[in-house]
Amino acid sequence: MKHVFPYQTLFDPVDLEVVSVTVDGRSLPYMQISKSERTIALHQTGRTEWDAATLQLKATLPEQEIAVGPWSDLVCLAVLTENATNARSTARLSKGRDGYWHGQIELVHGRHLNRASLALAVTGEIGGVQGRIIGATDKDWCIDLKAVTPKRQREIPIVETDFREGPEEWLRPFKDSLWIVETVNDIPVVYLNTTAVEGLVEIMNDKGGSPGEKLVRDMTASQIAQDVWTAMFHTAISELDLDDDGTPVVPSGWREPVLRMMLPDVLPGRQLTDALFEINERRTSGSGWPELQTNIQYAAGKRSQVTKKLTNAVRMVDSMDRNGS
Amino acid sequence: MSPVLAAVFPPVLGLLSDAAVTKYLSRGMQAGKENPPQTALRKAATTLSEDEPRWRTEPVRALIDEAMNRFEDQQPRVDAWLAPRLHATLRMTRAEAADGRLWNYLAMLVAPDYVVWRHKDKKSGMAPTTRFSGRHDLQAFSRLWWVAEFFRDGADYRPVETACVYQDVMNSVMRLEVADHRPTAAAIIRIVERLISQKVSNASDQINGLSKAINAAGSTLIFDVLAPDQPVDHDALRDWIADSAHMPDVPRTRLPDGPDDGAVDKQAVDILLPFFEKLLSEAPLRDRSKKKQDVENE
Repeated sequence: MKHVFPYQTLFDPVDLEVVSVTVDGRSLPYMQISKSERTIALHQTGRTEWDAATLQLKATLPEQEIAVGPWSDLVCLAVLTENATNARSTARLSKGRDGYWHGQIELVHGRHLNRASLALAVTGEIGGVQGRIIGATDKDWCIDLKAVTPKRQREIPIVETDFREGPEEWLRPFKDSLWIVETVNDIPVVYLNTTAVEGLVEIMNDKGGSPGEKLVRDMTASQIAQDVWTAMFHTAISELDLDDDGTPVVPSGWREPVLRMMLPDVLPGRQLTDALFEINERRTSGSGWPELQTNIQYAAGKRSQVTKKLTNAVRMVDSMDRNGS
Repeated sequence: MSPVLAAVFPPVLGLLSDAAVTKYLSRGMQAGKENPPQTALRKAATTLSEDEPRWRTEPVRALIDEAMNRFEDQQPRVDAWLAPRLHATLRMTRAEAADGRLWNYLAMLVAPDYVVWRHKDKKSGMAPTTRFSGRHDLQAFSRLWWVAEFFRDGADYRPVETACVYQDVMNSVMRLEVADHRPTAAAIIRIVERLISQKVSNASDQINGLSKAINAAGSTLIFDVLAPDQPVDHDALRDWIADSAHMPDVPRTRLPDGPDDGAVDKQAVDILLPFFEKLLSEAPLRDRSKKKQDVENE
């Protein structure tokens, strides 16, 4: 998010690179660090027990601008956070002879659960105030503790299971459904029933096949996508936090991009916060709520049509996540 | 209303999905008039390792029983007593505590009676769903564990007791991202201490205003730079967790000792304190006059 600061901040970009990673002293394979995606996959098959990962950092600051600017007492600080565990740790980088800023930060296993976020902030004294933020990386690094490959895009997990006799007891009542969307957790999950329609899951997983099979595949995928969008939308608006004055707060995680994308179709021509207020009002009071259903259905259908496939839909959510915030 | 008989609780703690809570949490349970469907819930849950003594249910259950006995008619006061003791009984890492399924399990299978006892709403006669399964600062047990984790000063749980005096600390301060910086949290507690000792009448409003002001200041300032903290000793925490294998029940009258993983830097707190006091003196406070009028007009 771009803030407006009441003092002069850096105009030129600040960049952070994770040069290498060691886990309990052993190097993490290079393949698990993606510079282009700014993502690190920390999970290594067969190694679930580890204590700490150390990230070697290198930062590029706009030195020329700093040299002529009004700031003093510059501090270049790496900030590692994760909302789920309320974890926050910081490390200072120092300027090397090569002109870059170097340092390292430790990620302690016990303090992180899923995805940690690594940012770089530059602070300085300006106008007599110390510790002012004068620059930061545009895009944080993402450290995924559960992934083996460093991919930013978070896919909606699709769990193929037998609703009738599988291990998930709670799916029993849905044994006649083709799929179920669960949106209560950090990431929505689609459960695909392997026994409701014989052969469907095989067709879904197949890449080629006859034109008929392709059609079934696309249609089913698009229907699942529509269900996912509808479920995500309803979940996102049902858990709105309210400010003191009753204004709904834009939710975090996947809920935010979903609302940003769908609200313009559900309540066209309104600002996000206004639309959010309106939708919360209608939902809680019940008046005007039934009328909205058509628009919600339309908005969900539009996403699932435009994107055709579930994975694409998810990719869209993710790219919104990155660009929209 | 007839009190629900204490159900037989499972011997070992486990994980219960949000979906299972949604499915089995009934209005009857929320009102404390129905027992949870133990068999179905146990089937839906995953049990944690029996080999780890820290996941035994009995010490937690005993603690909760004691809490309900001690604070029979003064429910809000239970927080200050229970939070540090729950934290010292359920020894675990933040990563483990961030798994909401553990808290779901406690609320549904181990102590649903506590959830109702502590959080029953007078108007609706029910405890809200979010107290059974919800955000870390709302869920009946998770909020207590996290308030202890946020505000303890290394092994010293005394600041946690202070934090629990006003609900606003949990309701607003605990949700601030800047409060993940330990000296920031500690400095806020010092101000709360002052409000308590001066018996300030609108302390809740002041805490609320302060937390907003600190949050706003945190958008242009980095407190970690102004007031650097001491590094946390993660090995000490690991040892403390491992010690749970042979620890007696937590003391009921004096405070237990937390993990000795390093005290918050006093100097850092001293740097932030005057700054936060200044923020508080300039912070706009909630206007109660309108609300009062509304009540009078009703």
